[in-house]
Amino acid sequence: MASNKKFNFGEAFGELEKIVQQFERDDVDLENALLEFERGLLLAQKCKTRLSEIENKVKEIKIKFEDGIDKN
Amino acid sequence: MDKIYSVSEFIDAANELLAFEIWVEGEISGFNISQDRWVFFDLKDGDGSKINCFMTAWTLKETIEDGMTIRVRGLPGIHKKYGKFSITIHEIKIMGEGALRRAFELLKAKLQAEGLFAPERKRPLPKFPAKLGLIASRESAAYNDFIRILNNRWSGLEINLLHTQVQGKEAIPQILRAIGYFNNEMPDLDALVITRGGGSLDDLGAFNSEEVARAIYASKIPTLVGIGHERDETLADCVADMRASTPSNAAERLVPDRAEIMTSLEHYAHLLGQDIEKKVRDAKDISYNAGRIFERCLEEKKRRLDIIQKNMVMLVSQFVDKTKTRLDFVLRTIKNLNPERILRRGFSIVFKDDKIVKDASMVAVGDILDLKFSKGKIKSKVI
Repeated sequence: MASNKKFNFGEAFGELEKIVQQFERDDVDLENALLEFERGLLLAQKCKTRLSEIENKVKEIKIKFEDGIDKN
Repeated sequence: MDKIYSVSEFIDAANELLAFEIWVEGEISGFNISQDRWVFFDLKDGDGSKINCFMTAWTLKETIEDGMTIRVRGLPGIHKKYGKFSITIHEIKIMGEGALRRAFELLKAKLQAEGLFAPERKRPLPKFPAKLGLIASRESAAYNDFIRILNNRWSGLEINLLHTQVQGKEAIPQILRAIGYFNNEMPDLDALVITRGGGSLDDLGAFNSEEVARAIYASKIPTLVGIGHERDETLADCVADMRASTPSNAAERLVPDRAEIMTSLEHYAHLLGQDIEKKVRDAKDISYNAGRIFERCLEEKKRRLDIIQKNMVMLVSQFVDKTKTRLDFVLRTIKNLNPERILRRGFSIVFKDDKIVKDASMVAVGDILDLKFSKGKIKSKVI
């Protein structure tokens, strides 16, 4: 998925939770509900893909401790 | 002839001879900090021997008190002004588990009193962190445990590792530098994790140092600290925003479990599906019901119109009847009032010069009056 770079799992999951809550409260009209429904399914799918596809990446940062004193 | 020294020259010469660093171990007595700047105490041993020690307050990193056994590294020499022999200390090592425990408790109480452990200042860590800073030793079991549990539980994390010593002399400056680096260079990290395996109080010294505790406290990035085994408590744990009992527990506390979140996602998708079906069903019901209600409304209107029409007819006929009755009454009354009818009952009307006479004084003797009866008229004369 090309958009995965920018995909933020926390935001997507949060949005999905909000849609589900709105549906539960039953205060969406049918036209919007259909849009939200599609959006919700897309978010759920993206989150699932993200969870199953991507590995954690460890990047080691090299700094010289010899030069000593912290910038602070 | 032997050289004659001035006092100053002698002290200089003696200090030159003594100028090599030594380690001395002994028990502290007479500990005193003067003007917040100068630290004085004696080191003594079982023989009753003692040596005076001196250091600056900012060199003193450890929390010490009388009775503790310590090892000091420093330079022996004679103080020029006072002629006093003492060791100028560069480094202190607290010896023995008991003394270390005591130093730990003293520092803990001090930091606690300052409010560094206050629960209300602890920040929450994001539920789904994406970018981490990690301070650990890359060779340690702690590091491997932490990464292994993270990989088991979660995906897509960017972990920025800064490898440091986690015990020994270099540990404190390196950890301080690492905390500073992350805060300055990568301030947008979701969390800063500091982890190390278990060890003795001495091994964990860096994480009980005042400097490291204060640096963690001051971190702008929320911190998660997992040091040692279940039972170990370090000051680094106490000041952290979130505290984990072990390196593995740090990973568990940092990220949610993939399987659980997968289940949630399935559940949400299912809920949405159910809800949308229900909404569509409801909408159909509503349009059917709306048609029925409309029809019923029309019928009702028609029925009311019929009633109104009937009522109108009734009201009009009632009005006509009433009017007729009233008219009869009026006619009858008018008939009764007709003067002809009164004359018929035997009355007569008296006229004088065509005017009706209502009063006897209106006539005089000899006047000619006309009398009108029910039938016929006569003329008469007043006598």
